[in-house]
Amino acid sequence: MTLLHRRLVKAELNDLVATAPAVFVQLTDEHRASLSSRFRAVSVPGHRRLEAWGVERAGRSGSTFRWSPSTARRVLGNASLRRMASQPASVRDAVRDELGDQMLRATSGYSRSGSLSHWLASAPHPVIGLVTAEAVNWATQLQEISQWLEGPWEVPASDAYYDVAAARTTLRARRDLVIRSQETRTIVRVRSGSPGKSAGPGLRADLTIEALADHEGVAPVRYIGLWPEAGVCLSVDGTMTDLRSGARDLVRTAVAQRRHSALKAA
Amino acid sequence: MLDSSPVSVVEALRGDRSKRPLIDIASASGLRSLLEDGIFAIIGAKTLDTPLVVRTSSLHQRFTTTDLGMSTPGRIRGVLIGQLLRLLSVGMSIDHPFDDALTAWRGDVGVNELTEHLDALDDDERARLATDLEAHFVTLTRALGEIPARWTPRSSVRIFQRLAGGNVVLRDVVDLMIGTSTSDVASIALFDVTTSPLGEGAERSMRFHALMHTLRTSLMPLRTSTFSSATGESWIRDVDYELLTRSVEDVLGCIRDQWSTR
Repeated sequence: MTLLHRRLVKAELNDLVATAPAVFVQLTDEHRASLSSRFRAVSVPGHRRLEAWGVERAGRSGSTFRWSPSTARRVLGNASLRRMASQPASVRDAVRDELGDQMLRATSGYSRSGSLSHWLASAPHPVIGLVTAEAVNWATQLQEISQWLEGPWEVPASDAYYDVAAARTTLRARRDLVIRSQETRTIVRVRSGSPGKSAGPGLRADLTIEALADHEGVAPVRYIGLWPEAGVCLSVDGTMTDLRSGARDLVRTAVAQRRHSALKAA
Repeated sequence: MLDSSPVSVVEALRGDRSKRPLIDIASASGLRSLLEDGIFAIIGAKTLDTPLVVRTSSLHQRFTTTDLGMSTPGRIRGVLIGQLLRLLSVGMSIDHPFDDALTAWRGDVGVNELTEHLDALDDDERARLATDLEAHFVTLTRALGEIPARWTPRSSVRIFQRLAGGNVVLRDVVDLMIGTSTSDVASIALFDVTTSPLGEGAERSMRFHALMHTLRTSLMPLRTSTFSSATGESWIRDVDYELLTRSVEDVLGCIRDQWSTR
């Protein structure tokens, strides 16, 4: 395994980016077919969605998702930073513009029930204030990290999603910054809190999903996880060993999830 | 004339840009070593099942037998004033401090022990709390002034540090942080608001915020401050190595106390 642990400072972050492997690994159709057959073997009645957080929690489901200032901050914060990259503005103004666009989407009927736009449109004024404060925190933090980076970076338009063929399974990998250099890419993912003992397997799961979501199966050369609240970062390299390990963890999580659901139903 | 201070707390925190020292990136590792060595001297090489946790409130409790700010109504008032500070930090207009703070708080945390306590208050107690909060809010807004967006204000910034292989966990929340860590000169200023009068505990909190920020980012902040919305008094200190080592001693003292009662 290629797990590295560093302090989150400018020099260390740039070193992690600069020392990433120069050669990328590519997943083939056989790899995809093999993964699909393993997921099919762990069938569930409905559709399942897996992500690194599920891997870290060994398939245990947390509390039901609800929109709140803290769950909305990443979506709004990343979109604001993307906006700032094209139109220079203060973080606060970019967040306000982004909020305005989200709410406009809801009032013009382009949002579905349960979406962020829908929730924001019905949220009281002080809650919008708190959402702004959280999104400003997130965007400022991400902006500082991006300013540390010595190479060009971009904020991806969305997380990476991969639908496993005929297995009613969607995999999702979080990604906040993409650093490209010629044929390779390094992904930066930001998390709140501090890394737990299973943070490494979580990063590997994201690495594998990111590679699967690439239409040519090209894996990022390095996946860097940042925990700014704890001031630490971890990284895994896009080697075939790590990709296999990530895939195994995802299948194991699906098995554990099915077991938990069966116990809950019993 | 009495209503407006010539310099707001935030302006005083920023100070004169030309007089700021170069950013200090060397002290953090020394402070970490001091903490690690100190913890080893107390706990030794044992691995604890549950870590010792140090937060700002632990430092307050160490020397204070009764702190009104730590009572349940005091905690509710503190949380609500914190919510108002967050709204002010993004330039929100606040017409009804109590209702706005309460709505923001509920939207964030849902239901917890404190919200349940608040719901159990009768009309008189609730009105008293609302009036009290309004007075604190007026004091805060007068002193704080407007916070320009270019100073990159961030509110309720959480910091988490694991030491001695996880045997000790330090937790902190800084109410307001302004400035950037991408500058060549020290620029980060930390602001803490309390609804209690300032005392020795507030000084320890100021030092602890500075220490936690240094450990988290490996960059020493420029200033640390605390403001009392009860008295309108504020304390502002430039951060230096001596202040941070005093905080290390505070933290080690707290760990020693917790260890001795295990």
